[in-house]
Parts: sequence; C-alpha cells; structure tokens
Amino acid sequence: MKNVARRHRRKARLRAARRRAQRRRRESLAALTAGALALPGLAGPAGAEGLSDRIGADYNFSRYSEGSIPASKVAPGSERGRYDIDMHQIRLATPIADRFDLGLDIVHESMSGATPWYVIPGDDGKPVQVMTGATIDDKRTDALLEGKFYMDRALASASGGVSFEKDYFAVNGGLGGQLELNEKNTTLSSGVGFSIDSIDPEDSDEYPLRPNHEKKQTYSVFAGLSQVLRRNIAAQSTLTYQLGHGYLSDPYKQALVAGEPLADSRPGLRHQIAWLSRYRHHFSSVNGSFHANYQFYWDDWKITAHTFELAWYQSLFESFRLIPSVRYYSQGQAGFYAPYYTQARADGLYSSDYRLSPYGAISWRIKAETRFRTWQVDWLATFSWERYLSSGSYAMQKVSTPNPGLVNFDLFSVGLTTRF
Amino acid sequence: MLGRRFRSRRCAAALAISIRLLFGGAASAADAGQLAPEFKAPALDGGKAISLAAYRGKVVYLDFWASWCPPCLTSLPLLEKLRKEFPSDQFQILAVNVDQDVEKARKFLERTQVGYPSATDPNGRIPESYGIETMPTSFLIDRSGVIRYVHHGFRKGDVAPLRERIKQLVSVRKK
Amino acid sequence: MLRSAASLLLLALPLLAASGCAAVKPWERDVLARPDMAWEPDSLEAKRNTHIHYSKEASLPGGGAGGGGCGCN
Repeated sequence: MKNVARRHRRKARLRAARRRAQRRRRESLAALTAGALALPGLAGPAGAEGLSDRIGADYNFSRYSEGSIPASKVAPGSERGRYDIDMHQIRLATPIADRFDLGLDIVHESMSGATPWYVIPGDDGKPVQVMTGATIDDKRTDALLEGKFYMDRALASASGGVSFEKDYFAVNGGLGGQLELNEKNTTLSSGVGFSIDSIDPEDSDEYPLRPNHEKKQTYSVFAGLSQVLRRNIAAQSTLTYQLGHGYLSDPYKQALVAGEPLADSRPGLRHQIAWLSRYRHHFSSVNGSFHANYQFYWDDWKITAHTFELAWYQSLFESFRLIPSVRYYSQGQAGFYAPYYTQARADGLYSSDYRLSPYGAISWRIKAETRFRTWQVDWLATFSWERYLSSGSYAMQKVSTPNPGLVNFDLFSVGLTTRF
Repeated sequence: MLGRRFRSRRCAAALAISIRLLFGGAASAADAGQLAPEFKAPALDGGKAISLAAYRGKVVYLDFWASWCPPCLTSLPLLEKLRKEFPSDQFQILAVNVDQDVEKARKFLERTQVGYPSATDPNGRIPESYGIETMPTSFLIDRSGVIRYVHHGFRKGDVAPLRERIKQLVSVRKK
Repeated sequence: MLRSAASLLLLALPLLAASGCAAVKPWERDVLARPDMAWEPDSLEAKRNTHIHYSKEASLPGGGAGGGGCGCN
C-alpha cells in the first residue's frame, strides 16, 4: 500500500519536472522567435497589402549559373560550359492620390555562354547534345508600369510594359480586378493580359534555316478565389488560360531529322491551362509560417506538369527571418518531341528542346532576411541561394530516354528594400 | 453524426447572412443617428480605466486602430495634429487599440507619441459592439453621445473634411 | 479516401459556405497581415522565379489572385 502511494508520488514529481522543462523550452523558443514585427512600419512590399502612404524601393541582384554539361552528354568537340546570367531588378512604388498607387518594375539582364542547339545520336546510341558556340554578351531590358485603384471593397489594376533584346521586342498589357466579400474573408480576382512579340533572330543570313522576322501573340485570362479559413490560415486557388499564336518555335534550335538538321518547328497555336493552389498557415507557438503551393499544368501539345513548393518562414530574434524551401517539378513530353528523328513527320513538327522533353526537377533554396532602421527609414536586406537539378529519373513517370541537355543551375541573390 | 448536421445548418444560416450582407449593404451595429455604445476598458499605458461616458458633453472622435494596420498608423500623427486645433474641453480623441499582442501597440506609441488616450481591447468586445467592418473605422460622436458620422479607412485627404465636421459639431452647444 | 478527397478540395477550392462558419473579423487580422503570410512576400523574387523557372520549363506561371492580408482600407 505504501509502495503504491510512493510510486504515485514519484510519478507525479516526474510529470511536474517534465512539464517545467517543457515550459522552459517553450519559453526559450518563444524568446528566440519573438516579435518579428518589432518594426511595424515595414509591413510588406509596397502595394501588396493595399494602399500605402509610403514610397517603396526594392533592388535585387542575382547571379544565375548553369552547371557545365557532362562530357558523356555532349557531342565531341562541342562547347561544355553553359549559360550565365547577371540580373538586376528594381521596383519603385508610390501612392499617387488618395486611392491610387503606381509601381515601376525594371529588369536588366546580361547573358553569356553556350546553349543547346540540336541533339544527335552518340557513339553508343544514346543521344548527345550539340551546343552552340558561346555567345559573348547578350542583354535584355524589361520595363513594366502598373497602376492600382483602391475602392472600399474592390480593387482595379492596369499594367503595360515593354521588353527588348538585340533580336527581340515585345509589348504587353493587362487589366485586373478584385472583389472582397463576406467581411473580406473571401476575395474574387480576375484579369486579362496580352503580349505581342516580334523576333528578328541574329545571323539569319549565315544560318539559312533560321527565320528572318517572326511574330507571336499571347493572350491570357485568369480567375481566382481566396479564402480566409482561420485567423492564421488562408487558401487560394487560381485558374489561368493562355493562348499562344504565331511563331512559337525556337529560332536558335534545330532537330536532326533522318540525319539532316532541320529548323525547330512547333505548331502555330498553343492552348495552355494552369491551376495553382496556395495555402498559408501561421504557427504562433513557434512564430513560423508554412507555405504550400501546388500547380497542375496542361497544354494541347500534350504536356502535363505538376509543381509542388513548400517553404517555412521562421522568424527569429525580433528582426531576422530564415526561409528554407523546396520545389519539385515534373513534366511529360510534347507529342511531337523527340531527341532526334529517324524519319520525317507527316505534320512537319520537330523539336529536340529539353523544355518539351519528359523530366523532373528538384530544387532547394535557403533565404535569410533581416530588418533594420537607420536614417529614419525602414530597411530589409535579403540573401538567398537556390540549387536546381533536373533529370529524367526525377520525373513522376518513367523516362526511357532523357534529353541530354537537361540543366542544373545555382542562383545567388542579394536584395535591399526600403520604405520611406 | 448529429454534430455534422447541426454544423451544416449553422453554415447554411451563416451563408444566408453573408449573402444578405453582400447585397444588402452594411448592417452596422452602430450607425449614424444611434447612441454610441458605452464601454469601459483598461488604458493601454496602464493608467486609469477609460470609459466613454466620462466624455459626455464633449465632441468625441472614437478611433479603432491596430499596430498591424498600415492606414491606422498613418492616421495617428495626423489625428494628433487635428486634436491640437481644438480646445480640449470641446473636442477629444479617444482610441481603442485591438492588438492581441499589446506590446506591439505600446512599442508603436513609443515611437509615435500622441496626446490622446488609447484603451486596450485584445478580445475585440468593443469593436464587436460597434459593428466594425474594416480597419480602421472611426466614429464622430456629438455632445449628447449620438454617433453623427462613421468613417471607414483612412487617407491623408480625410483630414480636411473631418475638420469641417468637427467644427460644425463643436459649434452646437449641448442643451 | 473520402477524408483525403475532402482535404484536397479544401486546398483547391475554398468554399464560401465554409467561410460563413469561421468568418475572421476585421479586427482579428493581425496574423493575416504578417508579411510571411502573404501569397508572395517578396514580389521581386516571385517575378524572378517566374522568369527563370518558366523559361527553363514548359509550364506557365499561374498566380494573379489577391485576398487575405490585413483587409485594411
């Protein structure tokens, strides 16, 4: 009888000690993850949260470097180094009148290196990639202007932009709207957009297969529904349809057809659908937020693709945030795709582009951000690194002959944002 | 089984109310022309408890704000400037802060000093009684305690028309 | 089987009816207003990812919708 009572008391003491230890752990974790919004002024990117009275400026520099193509995958004598891109992004946003704001996005890229040209059967029958020679320097500049008009329970937006490269010029525009319902727990969004592109491929005189001057038009429409599920949970689903018309091939790529390299030839029409769903869940006990995205893609070239993204936003030490994330992508092939062709096709469609081939890609990223206040102004500095690997073996379906040109890359980014 | 059926009936009722709210317009618990609901709440700075009844006889601007609401933060210094334009025995500003994390509200007030008191209501009972539909929302209350004007949101350009309304209400002497 | 289908539906098609049962009040949007609860907390990063991933893959960038957040005026 006494032993039973003693055992019970001992158990109770152990339980109490465990509870104290847990509380201490939780408290220290709380101290570690406390108050990410210690600087309430920097609520988010300008315009993303609704009309702001502050001017925002965002800058980002990124270096994209593709891994060299392995010797086993490349044709003998071909260039092995791949593409590198240095990218500068600037965003300026400002409120205009009481209910308007304006945003300007400028992107400038410098690109250099070699890219896949066409695919040939290798010595052992496995396809190998023939690369173009390394380009010296190619530049692209993009500018986009976006205006938003805020009403009590609605939002209207309009945008227009241009994009140009040595061999490429495009004009784009869009209109969008948003409606808040159900005490702003439900949001309906919709929009339309277009892009008109003209392509004047370089050296088309030297390469008789290369087209001289081509045009392409793209039209898109989307509709989305967002729902606040709980005080700390929100979900969203968006359906997008895009129509491509005109010259949709790649002027710098070829395909080997019965031993002859022919110009990359894709259909003049493409219907595409993307269904993206997003989920956001905040865990206040650890001061972290969970992000999940899933997209289903389908087009009438017979490609279906799945994209999964997961990210964890961990707030630490009042002004720091660490964000690890992972992405998985899998796509099937276009109906007319092949690494190379032993005979001509009746429809005349050919492409050896790995972007139309079956494969999967896994990438992971780590990002760090820190907020601080100097000179009466709020700042946010970010740094991130992403590594992306693609392979036939990563696809959801079995891939018997992966394209030899599949790419791996590293992406390093630094950014600075301010609101004043 | 029973629980699920009950929940679906409640959902259907809530859906019906939502549709009515969507198409039937605002159904504020506190509208212009009504008596402002009385409340008593602790002060954010830990001082004496704040009660709306204590302000009867003066024109009151009752402002609901939170540290996570950017337009609210814009309004605070502008309201402070507006407050100083009128004698304090005629016009007062009273704020109700709805931050769940009261520390965040206090930290903000340390940076942006205002001369008017903020009550703290982390459970949201006061905004519930006033039928708040968006953040921020403010109420202009006359000397008799009747709501004369409900203001949704806040923009810099709202100050001038607000000043005119306050002037008009201040000029009316309580009988 | 039914539970997984239901949770998939909740992720893909948030229902208006479900919202009527758990409506978050305008003064309860503190967590939703956090930048780490935004659909795209870093707009430059989102644009950059769209550009890089979707120029290396066949798919489309599917975003565009708004909602959530602080719901302020």
